[in-house]
Amino acid sequence: MSCSSVDLKAYFLGELASGERAPVEKHLDACQNCREELERLSVTRAALLSLEDQAPPQRIAFVSDKVFEPRWWQTIWRSGPVMGFASAGVLAVAILVHAFARPAGAPSVSTAGVDTAQIEQRIERQVDARLDAAVAKAVADTAGRQSAEFARTLQAAEQRLDSQHHADLAQITRYYELKMGRLMVASNSVEARPAQ
Amino acid sequence: MIFREVEDRDLIAKARRGNVDAYNVLVSRWERRVFNYLLRLVANREDALDLSQDVFLKAYQNLRKLGDPAKFPAWLFRIAHNEAYSLLRKNRPEGELAAEPRAGESSARLFPMELTLAVESALGKLNGDQRAAVLLKIYQGFKFEEMAEILDCPVSTVKSRLYTALDLLKQTLAPVNMGGAQ
Repeated sequence: MSCSSVDLKAYFLGELASGERAPVEKHLDACQNCREELERLSVTRAALLSLEDQAPPQRIAFVSDKVFEPRWWQTIWRSGPVMGFASAGVLAVAILVHAFARPAGAPSVSTAGVDTAQIEQRIERQVDARLDAAVAKAVADTAGRQSAEFARTLQAAEQRLDSQHHADLAQITRYYELKMGRLMVASNSVEARPAQ
Repeated sequence: MIFREVEDRDLIAKARRGNVDAYNVLVSRWERRVFNYLLRLVANREDALDLSQDVFLKAYQNLRKLGDPAKFPAWLFRIAHNEAYSLLRKNRPEGELAAEPRAGESSARLFPMELTLAVESALGKLNGDQRAAVLLKIYQGFKFEEMAEILDCPVSTVKSRLYTALDLLKQTLAPVNMGGAQ
C-alpha cells in the first residue's frame, strides 16, 4: 500500500471502519513519513483543543409564551389522557354547578329521605293538633247547644208545671168554693124546715 | 451509571407537545456547544449570544419538522450554521464569509495565552467553509455524513474542506507547537 492510497486523515479523524483501519495501521508500521504526518496532525488537534469552551454570557431559556404555544384545543386534541381528564373534569364541574345552583333551602339528594320523614311527621302533628282543636270545638259547640236546649226545655217544663199548678189550684179553689156553696145551701135548707 | 437521565428524544417529544420546561432542559444541554460553535464562527460574543437565542427559538418553532429525534444535534447545528452564515453575509456582502477574530476582542475575552491567540489566529486565516468544517469535526465531533447534512453539501466536499483546513492549520500552528513542546 502506497502513501497516496492511504486516507491518513480519515484514519486520524476516526472515520474509518474497523475493517479499513487494519491496512492503514499496517502501512504506518512500515512508513516513517506517514507516522510523522500522523504525529503532526495529533499535535495540531491538541493545539486546537487548547482553545477552551466559553460559557454563554447568560443562560438561554424560554418562558411560556402564548404566541408559540399550541392552542388549547391542539394540546387537548394531541393528548388522549388529557382529553379524558378534561371530559371527566367537565362532568365534575357540571355536577358541582348543578348541586350549588339549586334553590337555597332545598334538600340535597342525599338527605331527601330524612327531611321528608320529618316533614311528614310535622304535618301529621299539625293535622292531629288541628283535628283535636276542631273536635274540641265541635264538642264544645254541641255541649253548648245541648245545654241551651236543656235549659230551654227545663224552663218550658217549669213553665208548664207552673201553669198546670196554677190551673190545678184554680180548679181546686173552684171545687172547694162550689162545695162550700153547696154546703151553705144545704145548711140553709135544714134550718128552714120545721121539726116534724 | 445505573440511572440514565431523560433522553433528548423524550424532551423533544414533550417540547413538541408545547412543554416549554422540557425544551428549556434541552436548551441547557446544548446551549454551550451551540454558543461556542457560533462564537468561533462569527468571532463575537454578543453576536454569538444573539444567534444562539435565535437558533433555539427557530428550533422550537420548527421542532415538528424534525423527523428523527436522533438527528437533533445535526439538525440543530444546521440551523446554527445557517443563522451564522446569514449574519456573515449581511455583515460582509462582498462575499468573503470568513470572520477573522478581532484582535482587540480576542485578547479581552479569551485566555491571554500565546497558544490560544495562535489558534484563534490560525482559525481566522481559514475561510468560512473550512473553519466550519474544523469546528464541526474537531470541536463538536460530528461524523462526515452529519457534517454533510449540516453544511448541506456532499461528503466529498466536507472532506475536501476539512483536509485542506487541517493542512493549513498544521503549517500555521507548527511553530507554536514546536515552541510549546520545548
